[in-house]
Amino acid sequence: MEKTILLAKSNFRKNRGTSIGLFFLMLMAAMLVGVSLLIFLDAYPTAAKEAKRLDAGDGYLWIGEELQGIDDEFIEDLLGADTERYEAGRCLGYSNVSLPFGNGNVVPGLVVYDSRAFETKMNRTEIITEDTSITEGYIYLPYQFFTSGGYDLGDVYTFELLGKKYSFDVRGFINTTYFGCNNAGNYEFVIDDESYEKLYERDGDTAETIIVSFDLKEDVNPGSFRIRVGNDVLSRNPGAIALAALLPDTLSSKTFLSLILAASFLTMTIIIVVVIVLMLSNSIANYIRENMKTIGALKAIGYTGRVIIGSLFALFVFMACVGSLVGAGLSYTLMPVMVKIIVGQMGVPYTVSFNPVCSIIPVIFVVAFTFFVTFLAAGKIRKIHPIVALREGVENHNFRRNHIRLDRSVLGLNISLALKSLFTNMKQNTITFFVTGLLMFVCVVALLMYENFSRNPKLGILTFEICGGVVAFDYETKEDALKYLEDREDASNIRRMIQLNINYNNEDRLVTYIFDDVSKMNNKEVCYKGRLPEYDNEIAVSGTFAKQYGYDIGDEVRFDYGEKNSSYLITGLVQTCNNFGKEAVMSEKAAEQLIDFEYIPGYFWFDCDDAKTSQKILDEATEKYGDHVVSAMNFFDTLEGNMTTFKDISTLMLVLLCSISAVVIMLILYLLIKAFIYNKRRDYGIYKAIGYTSGSLVLQTALSFMPSIVLAAVVFAFGSYYAANPYMSMIMRSFGLMKCNFDIPVPGVVMIAIGLVLIAFAFALVQSSKVRKIEAYRMLICE
Amino acid sequence: MNTLIKTNKLCKTFSNGGTMQHVLKNIDMEIYKGDFTIIMGASGAGKSTLLYALSGMDKPSLGEIYFTALDEKGDEKLTNITKMTTDELAFFRRKNCGFVFQQVYLVDSMSLLDNLMVAGLLTNKNKKEVAQRAKEILKSVDIEESLWNKFPTQISGGEAQRVGIARALISSPRLIFADEPTGALNSKTGKDVLDALTAFNEGGQSIVMVTHDITSARRGNRVLYVKDGEIAGECNLGKYVHGDKERHQKLSDFLTGMGW
Repeated sequence: MEKTILLAKSNFRKNRGTSIGLFFLMLMAAMLVGVSLLIFLDAYPTAAKEAKRLDAGDGYLWIGEELQGIDDEFIEDLLGADTERYEAGRCLGYSNVSLPFGNGNVVPGLVVYDSRAFETKMNRTEIITEDTSITEGYIYLPYQFFTSGGYDLGDVYTFELLGKKYSFDVRGFINTTYFGCNNAGNYEFVIDDESYEKLYERDGDTAETIIVSFDLKEDVNPGSFRIRVGNDVLSRNPGAIALAALLPDTLSSKTFLSLILAASFLTMTIIIVVVIVLMLSNSIANYIRENMKTIGALKAIGYTGRVIIGSLFALFVFMACVGSLVGAGLSYTLMPVMVKIIVGQMGVPYTVSFNPVCSIIPVIFVVAFTFFVTFLAAGKIRKIHPIVALREGVENHNFRRNHIRLDRSVLGLNISLALKSLFTNMKQNTITFFVTGLLMFVCVVALLMYENFSRNPKLGILTFEICGGVVAFDYETKEDALKYLEDREDASNIRRMIQLNINYNNEDRLVTYIFDDVSKMNNKEVCYKGRLPEYDNEIAVSGTFAKQYGYDIGDEVRFDYGEKNSSYLITGLVQTCNNFGKEAVMSEKAAEQLIDFEYIPGYFWFDCDDAKTSQKILDEATEKYGDHVVSAMNFFDTLEGNMTTFKDISTLMLVLLCSISAVVIMLILYLLIKAFIYNKRRDYGIYKAIGYTSGSLVLQTALSFMPSIVLAAVVFAFGSYYAANPYMSMIMRSFGLMKCNFDIPVPGVVMIAIGLVLIAFAFALVQSSKVRKIEAYRMLICE
Repeated sequence: MNTLIKTNKLCKTFSNGGTMQHVLKNIDMEIYKGDFTIIMGASGAGKSTLLYALSGMDKPSLGEIYFTALDEKGDEKLTNITKMTTDELAFFRRKNCGFVFQQVYLVDSMSLLDNLMVAGLLTNKNKKEVAQRAKEILKSVDIEESLWNKFPTQISGGEAQRVGIARALISSPRLIFADEPTGALNSKTGKDVLDALTAFNEGGQSIVMVTHDITSARRGNRVLYVKDGEIAGECNLGKYVHGDKERHQKLSDFLTGMGW
């Protein structure tokens, strides 16, 4: 054992630089694997764990608008048979409330409670942080307002409910399962009892809402239950609305946006880890090759192959253990950045804590891989004869082709010599080519996400329809309001569109966008296959729905709404990342077979130039029609609010992945050039002896690595440009996006390619400059 | 100006584990134009160290080396090479020095012709002219045309050493430094190499050769004997004539006198 440790120490001393390079590769691999595992195994389950802790049950039922006839007895009849337990409570509920959030507004549903919110047994609301010195006129906001909404304790939060502005001091932030995340569609506010009383007096008649949390019996199908209770409430009171949401759907809503980004991060991490392990195996094999002469000398003096291999194992496995432990540790320092994004999206409190599984797996992964590669590479040592090892493994002459003949080359001397080196180091250059290429791809995907989620949000994919604003009027004024909007010069393409849930076979529901004229839709790209519906027997359903139930274009499918049902011809498939990919689009004429539109409010979507114009239209419409305006949404502001966390995450990912790529490429060049100089030290001695300057040798060395890097940058820039969208489609298919057509800015791709090449060249020059330190005489006598 | 190199109190000291080892001690010597100078001495006497110091490959610890180099206009100029930077020395070597090593040191990844081109192109950018000269020199050292595009690992040791000599000559240097050029060769191939060097010397090429082989040393017209880091003695043999027994005896006597 002492012999083994002695040899291992000697190996480390002799190859300190390479060992340190390998150490950092191992560290990075462990760190990235650690971060990915922490995201998926520790951070994401938090939403589910918290839901369980807060006893959220299996779902909730929102009954609002008109509550006549809906009493405790009715609720017992409605839920008693299918549920293990339930808990009903009353509050004030509002749909489509424009709430300031981040740099804009969000438009979720809103439930407002008083202090009774903290007294429920099921589906508890919990205070995360509060300032008890604030004793009146206060509000508790969902935690998401703190993590990504830009609010803190003591801030004043102002918002508008049914045309009246309210301002509250923020007393605290709450953790609530169903009403804490914008993506889940609803928020919960808890205000002081006195303010609640006043609000109830004002809005109680129209906004009183019953929220029922429930736990289903085991044999109850959640989808059928949801449809049944909706229909039963409508039967009892056609003026009421009843929306049932299930916990898995809510959890999925809370996490899916970050999950898309985290899945992309994970996939890109896997690519980087593949690059790292490729380099690791190459470096270990190279390390052994470099030390072949020492191995020969040790064998010659009587060391067995086992002891020599043991020393290599001791060194590499020790390095892998330390590197991966440090890497796994460092993953906890990188996590807070990721946590900020995840928590910002989920609206659930989460702090990084030690997770044994996420810490041990990266260590096992790196150590096992190192062990395996060392085993394969070192296996040769046992078979090698001492004299062959002393000749540095050369058993036969290597008859090469002369690719660049200096007497015929039209290129300059330095470039010709660099190209010669390129051909004689084909393996290293092939590695560099693929490594640079894969990193290029990673950066282009990160650029795609930045461009489409941050710089110029790709609205066609993120939302079903794009507009300047939406204003809804009650059924009494909707015809007049339409004329008013059409007469305005600053609003164009006025179309009526309403969103309703239609049911499929009593087991699933589709969120359906119903247009007075489908051809007025701005976002026609939403239909990725076939065409949008035109006639009254047509519908376009989402690809996710079609795939799940085995439908395709040309098939007929029956849908129900309340008591009515009708069959439709599928004309096209649409894609969406909202509502779990379960959406559809049809015309009003087609929907009339299911729904009577007479008493349904008119939701008018309009286009306009900017946020200011949109706000002007909304304000003037509200001023003119007063209480007849059911809701108003400035699309620009809403988008800004919704995109706040997206912007952060995609910008961060671009910076993070480009930085990691730059570090990886530098590490790889460090190891390759170091090995290159070591292997070519005799040639450098010859060049220096015959009069080559250090500068020209540095340039030649750096240049010899550039063709593969430049070629990879060019080829993979093109390749990534065309492959990034299919790659994103592959990742996002499970979220409902079947065919991505994200924008990829060509200048950005070019900048990344140039950036990678420049970084690589600059670092290659720095690393190659080590040639300067060695004198010709020393290089020659090193033999 | 007949002097090519002149040294002034040339010293070279190595540090070996804290112990200073004085390999060259205050050497004052001259190398003359057109000479075939031999440096002899026992193993470890400092002869190779002296050779590499004289050529600017290795820096002396103390003292000066003056080299009658050609300036940019092609005029001779006595230059103190000990004050040159590494890059200046590289420029100096490419114009003024050619090297022949015991281990040959051809670049394995290049053909024989490219090994000459890579040196020749440093002083002459005209590829055609350099290629033409390289081919002429390869012919003059008896390397067949069929071998020109072979790699160093595909030819014999003697052929490789002759290519090494050809490379040393490609830029028409003022002086060739040869470090035991026959040390790794058998007597037949060693003789071919020496014949080639002798022929070039007869053509006016100045050569400084380190050797511990008396047969090789006979080719020189002047022999310097290095002992304990100093020039212990000098023997002038005159022009080389093949089979000159008197010359052989004179050299043997000189070496015996030096303690060889």
